[in-house]
Amino acid sequence: MNHEHGKHDEPAEDEEIKIWKKKLIFSWLFTIPIAIFMFSGRLFGIEILPESWMVPILLVLGFPVLFIFGWDTIKSGMRGLFTFYFNMDSLIALGTIVAYLTGFLSFTGIVDDYSGVSAMIMAFFTTGKYVEAVARGRASQEIKKLLELGAKKARILKNNQEIEIDISEVKVNDILIIKPGEKIPTDGIIVKGESSVDESMVTGESIPRDKIKGDNVIGATINQDGILYVKATKIGKDTFLAHIIKLVEETQSEKIPIQKLADKITSIFVPIILVVALLTFFAWLIFSNDLSRSISIGIAVLVIACPCALGLATPTALMVGSGMGAKRGILIKKGEAIQTMKEIKIIVLDKTGTITKGKPEVAEVYPKEKEKNLFEIAASLEKNSEHPIAKAIVLYAESIGLKKYKEVKNFKILRGRGIEGKIRGKSIVIGNRTLMNERKISLKKFEETIKNFENFGYTTMVISENKIILGAIAVADALKEDSVEAIKKLKEAGLRPIMITGDNEATAKAIGEKVGIYEILANVLPEEKANKVKELQEQEKKMVAFVGDGINDAPALKQSNVGIALGTGTDIAIESGDLVLAKGSLNGVVQAINLSKATFKKIKQNLFWAFAYNTIAIPLAIAGVLHPVVAEIAMALSSITVVANANLLRRKKID
Amino acid sequence: MKKIKITINGMHCASCASNVEKSLKKVPGVKNANVSLMLKKGTAECEDSVSEDEIKKAVVRTGYKISNIEKE
Repeated sequence: MNHEHGKHDEPAEDEEIKIWKKKLIFSWLFTIPIAIFMFSGRLFGIEILPESWMVPILLVLGFPVLFIFGWDTIKSGMRGLFTFYFNMDSLIALGTIVAYLTGFLSFTGIVDDYSGVSAMIMAFFTTGKYVEAVARGRASQEIKKLLELGAKKARILKNNQEIEIDISEVKVNDILIIKPGEKIPTDGIIVKGESSVDESMVTGESIPRDKIKGDNVIGATINQDGILYVKATKIGKDTFLAHIIKLVEETQSEKIPIQKLADKITSIFVPIILVVALLTFFAWLIFSNDLSRSISIGIAVLVIACPCALGLATPTALMVGSGMGAKRGILIKKGEAIQTMKEIKIIVLDKTGTITKGKPEVAEVYPKEKEKNLFEIAASLEKNSEHPIAKAIVLYAESIGLKKYKEVKNFKILRGRGIEGKIRGKSIVIGNRTLMNERKISLKKFEETIKNFENFGYTTMVISENKIILGAIAVADALKEDSVEAIKKLKEAGLRPIMITGDNEATAKAIGEKVGIYEILANVLPEEKANKVKELQEQEKKMVAFVGDGINDAPALKQSNVGIALGTGTDIAIESGDLVLAKGSLNGVVQAINLSKATFKKIKQNLFWAFAYNTIAIPLAIAGVLHPVVAEIAMALSSITVVANANLLRRKKID
Repeated sequence: MKKIKITINGMHCASCASNVEKSLKKVPGVKNANVSLMLKKGTAECEDSVSEDEIKKAVVRTGYKISNIEKE
């Protein structure tokens, strides 16, 4: 598409794969003849070459394999040996060079020739590295996609002209023009036009969201059907996407507790193996008095040891796991959370905005037959208020087709109780029970209805005209579509859900009943939520997770053992959670828990294999039962196995 | 305290990453260092007095190259 950009962002991984591939092809080009010469004589008794030519030819063929195609490895390994920053290459370099030198020594007759073996070790090592690089590339494919998600160009409106500029030149407050099918270049707010926007890449939500003037849009999401004019509000490092990327990268370079032992071993592994190989060599030399055999066994010990399997076990699995999450709008912010997750027994869920939509909606109207008349009056008054309940009433009025409102005089807001005003001289009072009592308006005829509404957990607004009640509107914070199902799944997963809310007992219980949560902490002020979590942790002596929107419950998210913050699109408090869900559904919480558990299981599996491999393979090599080439193959396979196993995590169903 | 982020070239095994990490931690003033083999990236949390040059040297000392360095 555009060349300036394609190049500088070339993923390092692909570059690495290319290099290893080249080395691999050339190594085998020289190693295959070596193998034929070596084995034809040994296995089939066919002599292609006269005995005396054999060693010189092997040395000549082996030279480029080691010192041209394997030069990077030899160089890095040798430098490691001299600077005491030993690495994997140090083992391979030492093993192959010693083997190669036996070729020269064999002319003196004191030792057999292993020069052919040196090339084979290097060729297999290169092959292993190539396959590993490919597998590692696969492990990070989702994350890579995320990194490449951002738009490269933007079209802005300047002096009433559309001009196309590079994304880096976009400034805050620029007006961007986005045509159907195009990527929204950066975060912004719609100033003109309407459309639906596919936000699946950042939120995991597959259904496009309708957007109108005044709505926020996220950079890198895709405009579907209308032309949008968007004022850029955030650019570069400040965008939502940039935040997500930063987060994923931080998680990746963070250490999980379970990994610490493996890391410790990795860091002292190579020097230990060097010593062990040396000891093995001398021990065999003393007891068998067979120099050739002792050298061969020493080499086998050097090349069989695999610190890579240990070092890759955790990061690869974590990479695949966080990639799977990112695709679904689940961000693992703190790697440690996936380890803690399996210990979680109690999950405390905030009510407003987590279990419910956090926005009141009209739930019931009484009497239903007179709905239109009722709302004509109610909405005319409520239009003047900014209260969420007022907004819900106006929204409902519009949804049943009311367009014209009546003129209201003497409008007044009665804080915490309701509103009042005059329509055509008639005095209208809308409000709760307290307000009606205050104004001495009799609720008699409606008493039963109002009680009923209250029992359901509804907030009830009574509408009166000249002190006579016309009807009542029940407003409630509706459940999110998938809350019931998600709570059921949480219970199936063995978690104890507890709802926490500032609502009174009755309202809270009613909602709990609906969603299937029977343990409720009601009347909890926002600032007390963290204390409640602490109490639970102390009293129950169990690990507690907290799910909230992260806006007013950040302390509770911090206090809990695993804090799960959920939000919608950009309205998300990334900083406050250990796990962050970009799509505000509770099912995301279930997915996040499943994903954490599956990822952690994979990490444990990988670490087990890596440890098991080394604890079995190294003693076998010491015992002298493995040929150096077989040892090298085993080593290559072990690190490939670990990376491939991490990739298998993708097969796990987490939805 | 500040965070220095680096991109490292030439690492290809777990002990490479662990070497860079060790070397970074040896720099006076560096409190913590993390290196990811998967991302070829690392971060060093260090006191403000630590220069980018010292960080660079710590990486080069282990035999790898820095392709990008930035302060956060």
